Amino acid sequence: MCKLQSIINTLPLSDMTYNCMKPGDQSELSLWLWTRPMNKTAMSIGWHQSRRGRGHRHKEQGRANRERVVEQKAEDPVPHGTCMTMCPAYEIRQREAQNRLHRFEVVAGTERERLPPADVSRAVKEYSRPAAGKDSTRASDLRPPSVLLKTVCYLVDDIAASSTFQPWTEVYSFVFDRLRSVRQDMIIQRVSGPDCVAVLEKSVRFLLYASYRLCGQQLQYFDPRINDTHLQECLSWLLESYRDGKHQHQDEFQALSLLYNLGSSQAIQHVLELPERIRSSPAVQLALAVSRAHMERNPVRLLRLAQRLDFIQVCAVHRYLLPCRRDLLLLYSHGHSSRNCRYPLQRLARLLFLKDALAAELCQVCGVNVTEEWVNFSKSSFTDASSGDLQCRCMHEPLDDEQWNCSAGCVIHGCV
Amino acid sequence: MACVLLGQQHLCWSDVNVSQSFCCCLSRQHTRYHSCVFVEVSMAHITLNQYLQQVLEAIESRDGSFCAEMLSFKHPHVANPRLQLSSPEEKCQQLLEPPYDEMVAAHLRCTFAVSNHDFMEAYKCQTVVVQSFLKAFQAHKEENWALPIMFAVTLDLRIFANNAEQQLQSKGKGKVGDMLEKAAEQLMSCFRVCASDNRAGIDDSKKWGMLFLINQLFKIYFKINKLHLCKPLIRAIDSSNLKDEYSTAQRVTYKYYVGRKAMFDSDFKQAEEYLSFSFTHCHRSSQRNKRLILIYLLPVKMLLGHMPTPQLLQKYDLMQFTDVTKAVGEGNLLLLNEALVKHETFFIRCGIFLILEKLKIITFRNLFKKVYHLLKTHQLPLDAFLVALKMMKVEDVDIDEVQCILANLIYMGHIKGYISHQHQKLVVSKQNPFPPLSSIS
Repeated sequence: MCKLQSIINTLPLSDMTYNCMKPGDQSELSLWLWTRPMNKTAMSIGWHQSRRGRGHRHKEQGRANRERVVEQKAEDPVPHGTCMTMCPAYEIRQREAQNRLHRFEVVAGTERERLPPADVSRAVKEYSRPAAGKDSTRASDLRPPSVLLKTVCYLVDDIAASSTFQPWTEVYSFVFDRLRSVRQDMIIQRVSGPDCVAVLEKSVRFLLYASYRLCGQQLQYFDPRINDTHLQECLSWLLESYRDGKHQHQDEFQALSLLYNLGSSQAIQHVLELPERIRSSPAVQLALAVSRAHMERNPVRLLRLAQRLDFIQVCAVHRYLLPCRRDLLLLYSHGHSSRNCRYPLQRLARLLFLKDALAAELCQVCGVNVTEEWVNFSKSSFTDASSGDLQCRCMHEPLDDEQWNCSAGCVIHGCV
Repeated sequence: MACVLLGQQHLCWSDVNVSQSFCCCLSRQHTRYHSCVFVEVSMAHITLNQYLQQVLEAIESRDGSFCAEMLSFKHPHVANPRLQLSSPEEKCQQLLEPPYDEMVAAHLRCTFAVSNHDFMEAYKCQTVVVQSFLKAFQAHKEENWALPIMFAVTLDLRIFANNAEQQLQSKGKGKVGDMLEKAAEQLMSCFRVCASDNRAGIDDSKKWGMLFLINQLFKIYFKINKLHLCKPLIRAIDSSNLKDEYSTAQRVTYKYYVGRKAMFDSDFKQAEEYLSFSFTHCHRSSQRNKRLILIYLLPVKMLLGHMPTPQLLQKYDLMQFTDVTKAVGEGNLLLLNEALVKHETFFIRCGIFLILEKLKIITFRNLFKKVYHLLKTHQLPLDAFLVALKMMKVEDVDIDEVQCILANLIYMGHIKGYISHQHQKLVVSKQNPFPPLSSIS
C-alpha cells in the first residue's frame, strides 16, 4: 500500500495522461479507493471483502493505469450515485429474467405466474456481497442520499407498517435486506450528514422494533444475534455521525443506545461524557436512571422505572427485563430466606409487573416455592437454570397483528 | 549504570535532556554534569556531516544508547536548523548503509516537519523511521544493542500520533483514535519481533524490549478505549520468565495499567494488589505519577472498606475525595450524592465515576449498621431504615425498595440475617451481623 502511494507521489503529471481519462475508467477508481484510508466504523463486512477483489486486479495494472489513477485522485474519487429509482434498471431486468424478484416487488396479482413482471415502483435494490470482478461503484447503480431516504420511507410505510403482508417474519426479512443495501450504498458513497443520520435513525428503530416483535420466533425466521450485530453497527455509526453538528433526535437515540447496551460501562461512560445539553434531556436522564438501577442491582427500582419508558425504549431494553426479574427472585431468595416466613404472591407479582399466574410460573421455573397465595423464599432452592419454556416473549404486552401493524409505521418513523 | 526511573542504560550526558524525570545518576556524578552541559550546547550546532558521522560511528560500534539519543526528540539536536531538512536522502545514502539511510533521512525530515509544527507529516515520517528501524532490528541476530533505539523511536511515534490527532481535531477533521490505532499496529510489529526472539541468550535477547512496548500499547489502548486489546499482552507477560526482572520503573507502569484494567473488569481484589504495588514502588519524587496511581487506588480501597486519611488526600492534592470518604464512612447518602455531583467532571474524566457510584451500597451498609447500633436489638423494624433514609433526604425510596436494598446486602454478605415481610422486620444474626468490609470478597 505504501509502495503504491510512494510510486504515485513521484509520478509526473502530464497533459497526455489527463486526456486519456475515459468515463469508463471507474474500475481504476475503485483501485484507488482501496489505497485510501477508510473510515473504519462505516465499514461493513461487505466492503472489507471488496478489497480482496481489488488486490487481484491491482497486480495486472500497468504503469499507465496508475498514472491515470493519479489524475483521478486530483479530482473527486468518491462515487456519486445517479440512480433515481429505488432499484437500478439493469438489476430489475436481471432479476426479472432470472425470476429472482421478491413477491413484494412484482406487479400485484402476478405472484403466482411463472415469470412475474417487475413493478418498477415497488422494486428495491437488494443487498449483494461485493466480490472479485464485480464493480459496486458504478454511478448508475448507486442511489444518491435523497433517493435512499425515500427508499427507507417506502420500506417502512408501505411494507413494514402495511397490514396486507403476512407473515411479518417475511416482511422483516425483506426490509432487513433492503435496508442493508441502502447502508451499503451510503458506505460506498461516503454519505454523511442529515440524510445519513435520518436513514440510520429509521434503521435503528426498525431493528429495535423487530427485535421486540419477533422475540422468541424460530431461528430460521429471526436470528436475534444477526439482528443485534446490525443494530450495534447502525448505532455506533449513528453515534459517530452525531459528533458533528446538531441533530434533532440525538438525545432520543443516545438514550436508546444506553438502554440497548444496559450494563455496559463503555456505553455509560460515553453518555456521561456527552455535552450537558444532551445529558440533561429527559430521555437520557431516564435511561441513566434505569442504568443506575441496573448497576446498583436494584431490580425493584429498575422495573418501576421501566414503566415510564415509551414503546421504542421498551423494545430496546426488553431483553434485560426477564433476567432482571429472575435477579429479583434471586436476591429475595437470599434476603427473605427463612423456613417459616411467607411473602404474598400478589405483592411479588406487582413488584415484577406481571400477572399473578405468570409470576407464579416464573417462581416455579426458578425453584421458588409457591402455594396459592404465598411464596416461600429459600436460598438453597433457587435454581439458576435457564428459563427453559418460559420465554421473554411471554412477558411482552399482548398485541394482535392488527395492533402491531398500526403502531409499526409510527414507531419506526418516530412520531409520538 | 541504570537509571531507576527510566530503567535504561544511558551515558550521563544524555541525562541532561531528560527534562522532567529525575535521574539519580545525575546527583552522584556532579563533575560529569558539567561536561554534559558542554556537550548539550555543542549538539545544537553540529553540521549534517558531523551528525551523520556520529550516527555511523554509533551503529558501527553498536552503541545503542548513543544512537538512540541521535534519533530521539528529547535530544537537543532536533532543534538544530542545519539538520532540519526536507530531503536529506542523498546525503544519508552517501554515508549510511540501508536501511539506516532511510531511517535517518526520515528522522531528519521529521525534525523539519516538527519545526513547521506539521505533526501529520511528522507522524508519517516517524512511521518510516520505525519501519526502517524494524528492518535493521530484525536482521540483528542474537543481539539486542539496538533496544534503546527502539524505545526512543516508538515513544516518539506515539507522541506524534497524539499530536497529529489533536491537530486534526482542532481543524474539525479526522476521527478520534484513527492515528493512534495505526501507531499501535506499528508497535505490535515491533512487539512481535521482540517476543519471537527465542534463539538468543538472556543477555542478548530482544525480549527485554517487551515490557516497554506493552506499556506504550497500554497507553494507546486506554486512550482509544479498547481495553480488550490489552488481554493478549497481559497473557504474554504473565507467561514470560522475565516478568519480575524488568526494571522497577517499567513494572510500576505495567502494574498501573493492569490494575486499572482489573478495576474496569470489576476485579477489585486484583486491582488493589496491582495498584498498591505500583504506588509503593513508584519513586518518591514522581509526585505526579503517585497521584495518578492514587486516583485509581483510592476508590478500590474504599470499596474494600479502607478509607484514606485526610493527610494522605492533602499530601497528594486529592481533596475531591474528602467528601466522598466522609460520606461513605458516616453512611451519609446525601453527602455522597452531593460530593459526586460536585466533582462529577473530574471523576468522569478520570473514568472512576462509575466505581464511586458503587460506593453507594457500602454507604447503605454503613447507615444501616448505625441503625442497628442505635436500636440495640436483633429484630429491626423495616420502618427504621426508611426513617433513616428519609433523614438522609433520600425521598424516592419506599418500603419495597428498602427490602430490595437489604436483600442485596444480605446476598452480598454484608448483612447476616433475613427479612420477614409478615413482621416487617429485618432479623439479624446475634453474632457479627455486619461483618467487616475487608472480609467480603
